[in-house]
Amino acid sequence: MVHGCHDNTKLYGASYFVLLGSRRPEIDKAVIMSDLLKDKSQRREKRAGKLPSEGSHGVRGKETTGKTKDSISTVSYIDELAHHDDNPRMAVTMENTYQMDILKDVLTSYLQEEEYEGEWSQKMTKTISEVIRARVKDLMIPRYKIVVLVHIGQLTGQSMQISSRCLWDAANDTFASYSFKNSSLFGVATVYAVYFE
Amino acid sequence: MDEYQAEEETAFVVEEVSKIIKESVEAAIGGNAYQHSRVNQWSTSVVEQCLSQLSKLGKPFKYIVTCIITQKNGAGLQTASTCFWDNSSDGSCAVRWENKSMYCIVNVFGLAL
Repeated sequence: MVHGCHDNTKLYGASYFVLLGSRRPEIDKAVIMSDLLKDKSQRREKRAGKLPSEGSHGVRGKETTGKTKDSISTVSYIDELAHHDDNPRMAVTMENTYQMDILKDVLTSYLQEEEYEGEWSQKMTKTISEVIRARVKDLMIPRYKIVVLVHIGQLTGQSMQISSRCLWDAANDTFASYSFKNSSLFGVATVYAVYFE
Repeated sequence: MDEYQAEEETAFVVEEVSKIIKESVEAAIGGNAYQHSRVNQWSTSVVEQCLSQLSKLGKPFKYIVTCIITQKNGAGLQTASTCFWDNSSDGSCAVRWENKSMYCIVNVFGLAL
């Protein structure tokens, strides 16, 4: 049953964020880049389709895994069960890596040497999310609505899970996410871009 | 399909969405204590339940549902979001739920088609 003015069907898919303890930014980019190509080929884990997608970050407390590094890289895999012939919208999908760069840039520059502190973090989250939104808007990608989500938390050995799922048109809508960690805090920024008919 | 729907039908109704979120969270993690091994499955089920209830509303919206589950141990967490959208038709709702051992924050963004 479909509601709305267009007749695109919404099928099922999922995207997974796997938290890697080591820094592997090249892999992030590679994985996301191949997502951009959105070929009809099914050899890769990625396939084009219109699907709800889900992403999650797990941030493990220090006591559980014992891994503490200066930054956390996240790799996303998009597994989609259906095949689609839609135009790949290259311009749109390209923005995925640009957004990752923007997120990485903004998070590292604002949080690199900082300590977690209640008041300051409150202001920081708002500032960072506004800066990210402004920079994504500067990309001037037409007909897209943007949602930016920023979380800054204190690291005290607690465990946390952040996940999201979206009901949208997976051929045209996308998201990008980056997480950053230093000795006293972590920051996660996520950008969702939704096509507006 | 009605071209002209009444305002109430196509607007993002925060109370309704907030109620749906609270019910989904309660159903998924209601009486449980934080367990790292299960948190993945919990957050998935919270988000899936929310999304399926939201899609049952039958409104012409795309939804983004985010869920954060964190263990209570005195740590601080700040979350902020900004959106570039159409204020008159789009909306968001955030619900914070807690029990003795964990916090759960769910954000729902609804973008009109």
